[in-house]
Amino acid sequence: MSETNIGTSSGTQRARKQRKPKKSQIPYAILLTALIIAFGFYLGRGNNQLPVYWGFGIAFGYILQRSRFCFTAAFRDPCITGSTSVTRAVLVAVALSSVGFWAIKYASVLKEAETNLNMAGVSPIGLPLALGAVLFGIGMVIAGGCASGTLMRVGEGFLMQMLVLVFFIAGSAWGAHDMGFWGKFNENAPKIYLPDVFGWFGAILVQGIIIVLLYIAAAKWQEKKMGTME
Amino acid sequence: MAEFTLDCLGEACPVPLMKTEKKIGELSVGDVLVVSIDHSCAMKNVPEWARKQGHNVEIEEVDDGEWEIIIEKTK
Repeated sequence: MSETNIGTSSGTQRARKQRKPKKSQIPYAILLTALIIAFGFYLGRGNNQLPVYWGFGIAFGYILQRSRFCFTAAFRDPCITGSTSVTRAVLVAVALSSVGFWAIKYASVLKEAETNLNMAGVSPIGLPLALGAVLFGIGMVIAGGCASGTLMRVGEGFLMQMLVLVFFIAGSAWGAHDMGFWGKFNENAPKIYLPDVFGWFGAILVQGIIIVLLYIAAAKWQEKKMGTME
Repeated sequence: MAEFTLDCLGEACPVPLMKTEKKIGELSVGDVLVVSIDHSCAMKNVPEWARKQGHNVEIEEVDDGEWEIIIEKTK
């Protein structure tokens, strides 16, 4: 492939660099898969949950890498290019996970099990949230990835992101250390939980409507900025 | 029909995209821009942006984890 026609009407010819012969990576892939499975069995001895976590972690990373799913791009691209395809992908993901979370939580409430998940993961809306969200937003655009995106790109071998990882860990540790201080601001902050406000079926309906409206807004935004909806 | 190159090796998203956007603006119709990148995310969003703008785009993996995006400005 030293000379390639790039398919223009004028037939521009470009001399290409001779491609380096690539080493097949399939043996490494087979070896790695075997190691993953072996480690899964190792984790399974004495604990039934760890292999499940391991499997989900691997699957999550694999899908994230192959799909180039990027939460940073979802919030950044509409501003810099007007493209909202990733934004809409995230909205679809949020819609799907909403249904999943709703089902898990509602089931736990119906069963009135001791593991009532009703308020699990519901955080107060206060100053620390607003401040943290702004800082995280600035940080992820500069660093070129959110938390999961950074981890995925470290795995891909992008060196700059390893630097990000160091500070990501340092920042997390620092944040955890000061959690008591930030908690003071949340003492009077409201906890809004949709099922408490609208009831269980109302909550999923309202959430769904909001997501659909955001999706339409995202599509319109791209049409306005780029002149295409696709 | 000039050919330009843009070296974005080591640059993380969104820098390659913004540099490409700027550079394409300086080019005249028919010119070709070759962008070198090694960030997998830019490999997705630069071609996507260029195609949406209506340019001809081709991607070539020149090495493991290193790509050249060839963009021909059409308008």
